[in-house]
Amino acid sequence: MRPLFEQMKIAAADNLKLPKDVVLGEVLISFVGRTSVIVENYRGILIYDDKTVKLQAKNCKLQFHGKRLHIEYYNHDEMKISGLIQSMEFGE
Amino acid sequence: MKDLVKHYCEGYLRIQLKGFSPERFLNLCMSRQIVVWDLCYQDNGYQFLISIKDYRRVRPLVKKAQVRLKILGRYGLPFFLYRNRRRKLYAAGILSFFLVLFCMSQFIWDISIEGNYRFTDDTLIHYLDTRGIRYGKLRSGIDCDSLEENIRSDYPEIIWVSARISGTRLMIKVKENEVIGTIPQKDSRPRNLVAEKSGTITRMVVRRGKALVNVGDSVEKGDILVRGMVPIYNDAEELVREQPVRADADIYAVTSEGYQEKIPLLALNRTETGKNRHGVRLRLGGFSFLWILPAWGENPWVVTSKSTQAAILGDFYLPLWVDRIRAREYQVYEHFLTKKELEQRKETIHQKKMENLKQKGVQILENSVRILEEDSGWIVQGEFLLEEKIGIGSLVVPEPVPETESDKEPEPGTSE
Repeated sequence: MRPLFEQMKIAAADNLKLPKDVVLGEVLISFVGRTSVIVENYRGILIYDDKTVKLQAKNCKLQFHGKRLHIEYYNHDEMKISGLIQSMEFGE
Repeated sequence: MKDLVKHYCEGYLRIQLKGFSPERFLNLCMSRQIVVWDLCYQDNGYQFLISIKDYRRVRPLVKKAQVRLKILGRYGLPFFLYRNRRRKLYAAGILSFFLVLFCMSQFIWDISIEGNYRFTDDTLIHYLDTRGIRYGKLRSGIDCDSLEENIRSDYPEIIWVSARISGTRLMIKVKENEVIGTIPQKDSRPRNLVAEKSGTITRMVVRRGKALVNVGDSVEKGDILVRGMVPIYNDAEELVREQPVRADADIYAVTSEGYQEKIPLLALNRTETGKNRHGVRLRLGGFSFLWILPAWGENPWVVTSKSTQAAILGDFYLPLWVDRIRAREYQVYEHFLTKKELEQRKETIHQKKMENLKQKGVQILENSVRILEEDSGWIVQGEFLLEEKIGIGSLVVPEPVPETESDKEPEPGTSE
């Protein structure tokens, strides 16, 4: 069960048709084919090696699996990962 | 691109990261807004790029995350300058390059003129030369406003001028007056219209004067078609006098026209032998340097050249011209015209004559052409049946007024 304030925010975003990534801080993932991905609204890096990148988002964890994974740049707002991306998982 | 230049100017390092908690170090960098890029996992460690300025800020984070940093490479302008600090001539060369470039950019090295039809480029460039504006003139010595005024006042046919300097190029755009400067004076002297050619009149419109011919009449060259003397009758239909007017009419007639043109038996033919010579000419200010192999053999050569002015960055023209020269050897020989070539020549001559007639506004009703053989060659004989305007003006010569008896003055020495 989500907290009441969180529920109110979701309802407000739905009714006012506001973008959820802005209102709720949800993670935004943009794939460009299978060779690069841009992740926005993430919180931090949990694990990184050339086969796995695990990131912490506000409400979930993200895990990218692939080969020769390479972080082109990252900052407070977004991160760009390139390499051969084979799969992506969401975790709690 | 902007970031690349910024990083190069500031200088950056390639760092190897190893230790207890590299991810924590990366998160700490992010939270302190330390920019790290090109992060990859290699040899059980991480490698990334970081600017010199940010590298100085990561020392406290190294302790906190219990990691070790090792510098693998140093890149960017500060390191380049440091490595080449002893190469004074190298630096002097770079500096002098920019100095020369700056000095050369203070002069005009190209003058372009657009929009001129009546006055050629050479005419206008010669005019500018007399005004002291030529290649190599200081840019600051050219006043575009006064130049525009001078061109306008010295060339009344140029109605609009725009002069501007772009880089080392002086661009002059002109607009010439397309309307005729002076209105031709209307000729109002009385005249007849006479036939310019013999023919049969097909249609006519008379605006002024007395028509002496009708549609269907055959006229000879020089016959009066419209008379420029209009008779004026009184009420009793008696001729009072004749009023001279300027006859005006459109009179069309069917006329015939022929031509003859000789074609010699032999024709000159020019063929290339396939031998080529290539060369280059460099022109720098008043000096020129030509490099081309000398001509060999007895045959003549046709020489063509393509000239280009050296320029950098579009409008920055340099006083250096490069001419690419190409010379091709050819032979001239005579040969008898073949039947096909003769036909082609005949067609060309006939088509040219027809084009000339069409340009005059003449309607061609019929045309025929044939070739007559002669000892010295051939004769192309063509005939056209045309419908054209045949009236041409001929001034009316005032008739001498016949002397009457009363006007006669008494001769000296006689008495009544």
